[in-house]
Amino acid sequence: MRQMQSHNLWLVAPAALMVGIFFLYPLCFSLYSAVTLDGGGFTLTHLYKAFDLYSKDMLFTIFIVFVSVSILASLSVTIAALITLSPFRSLVGLLAFLYRLPLFIPFIVTAQMMRTFLAKNGLMNNAFIESGLLTPMETISFLGWGGIIITFVWKQMAFSTLLISGAMAALDDSQIQAARNLGASRFRVLVQIILPQITASIGIAMVLSTVTIMSVLSVPLMIGTGTPTMMTADMAFRVNSYGDYHVANALGLVSYCICGGLAYFYLRQNLKDKGAIS
Amino acid sequence: MTHLHIKDLQAGYGKKLILNNINLEVRQGEMIALLGPSGCGKTTLLNALCGFIPLSHGEILSDKRVISQLPAEQRNITMVFQSYALWPHMTVEQNVAYGLKVKKVKRADIETRVAELLNVVKLAGLEAEKVTALSGGQRQRVALARALAIRPDVLVLDEPLSNLDAKVRLSVRHEIKALQKKLGFTSLIVTHDQEEALVMADRIAVLNKGQIEQIGTPEEIYHHPSTAFVADFMGADNHIVWPIQDPGFSLNINLPPDDLSIYFRSENVSISLQATINNELNQQQNEGLIINGTVEQSVFFGNSYRISVRSGKHIIQAEHYKHLPGKTPVTLHILPEALHIYAADVKSSVLEKN
Repeated sequence: MRQMQSHNLWLVAPAALMVGIFFLYPLCFSLYSAVTLDGGGFTLTHLYKAFDLYSKDMLFTIFIVFVSVSILASLSVTIAALITLSPFRSLVGLLAFLYRLPLFIPFIVTAQMMRTFLAKNGLMNNAFIESGLLTPMETISFLGWGGIIITFVWKQMAFSTLLISGAMAALDDSQIQAARNLGASRFRVLVQIILPQITASIGIAMVLSTVTIMSVLSVPLMIGTGTPTMMTADMAFRVNSYGDYHVANALGLVSYCICGGLAYFYLRQNLKDKGAIS
Repeated sequence: MTHLHIKDLQAGYGKKLILNNINLEVRQGEMIALLGPSGCGKTTLLNALCGFIPLSHGEILSDKRVISQLPAEQRNITMVFQSYALWPHMTVEQNVAYGLKVKKVKRADIETRVAELLNVVKLAGLEAEKVTALSGGQRQRVALARALAIRPDVLVLDEPLSNLDAKVRLSVRHEIKALQKKLGFTSLIVTHDQEEALVMADRIAVLNKGQIEQIGTPEEIYHHPSTAFVADFMGADNHIVWPIQDPGFSLNINLPPDDLSIYFRSENVSISLQATINNELNQQQNEGLIINGTVEQSVFFGNSYRISVRSGKHIIQAEHYKHLPGKTPVTLHILPEALHIYAADVKSSVLEKN
């Protein structure tokens, strides 16, 4: 029995080692660095400095994440609902193909694409000018917080729609049909029958999107206009301009705390689904 | 009075046509069973009726009003699904009351109607229970109460008993029938179980490959199947093609000289040991089909034994009150009225001698 247990240990050892070396060690070192002085010893100086210098950016990050995730939730649910409930099956097939495309485009390419699309003299404004809807003087640039939100929503929509439409597809069709032949409209079916049964999946899609949005550097750098900016840009600035790993890690710790709170929800829901907790 | 009228209906999924030229009239308060093997189009017919799939051709009338162009939510036809399709995030009461809330019925009236229905389906006291906490039989009754709550013009039941165990199925079968008689709702029930159809339905429509093969009362369908398929599906488990060049078989009925397909049930086969056969056959004037053979197998079936008798290349199934040892020589006799005879090449032109 004991020999079998040691065999099992050896089986998981390579994977555990990889996780330890490439994930746990850097994470622990980063957290350690955020609360220690150069010569060693515990300190909260770096955290105070991070809050002192970048509290506006922290709020800005939370604002971007909150607005992006809210828009993302409503758009993803709408698209998934159209795919599940629309009677126009050929249009649904096209929509189901199109919404997946951003999944295969990296963030940096998306950011570059949006930069040329949303700028004052970008593709979007040029199209408006060409169609006579705007004059060149009336155009405005969407680079800034609006552009960051548009980019995050555009990029993450495919992922969250995939999760949500998967959850909707997993529901028994007859549950939807039962509501419809009792007189419920498609909208009522969505609100009263489908959404209450997939709230956990929506929550998980939004938590995972939040973590992704909080960790992207290219979008705030390429679409943002300076200050305020997102915490990832601040971390890059502290490291590249000052070689200040302590404050960068302190900012990382704040990001980690925000994501950790949300990850708690994700893990708890996962365990609940598997019946580990009630 | 015709309550539901299906005219020349064609329907399917995408380009695949499943139902072809379905014509059916359902009278007020009648229960019709749609009976047929898997894949014959029974559930597709219910889906077309409820508006879940579009018709390729034909129309559906409810009380002389054309409903085939209406969306599902406006047809007032409710379904009890095979999987029950209860909503797990709602209680028993919320499930049953849902249709009434959608129709904006007053709260007091909803409460009265739900209480009344839960009482009828014997679920009073379980209003606040989550449906996931109920047994299969109880869920089935919640689904029935939910479908009846809005007083539908027609209730359709898609294999409602197939997920229940044998004992519960028997009791629920009688409960549904009693409820239908009591409340007088018009209904169609889909089943592949012939016994279920015989017990529950006022009339049975037997479907095969998307078409109705025969429609009639349970007695008509059972005793006078109009096609070879219906005879076979309704339990005529013995089949021979006549003429047979085998001295063990003799058929004493006046028939045309064509090739014939003959079906009969094992329960209608009487077995005589060959020593006593002559006297018995004389009494019956030798009418019907007589087969001489030897017992090959005898299997206990509870209230009888199922005897397999070999005669030449043929194996005939018969039921007998006692066990017969293997290789016992026997004579089988099937009376003319128990034989279902069809032209072998067409299999639908009736040549019954009933």
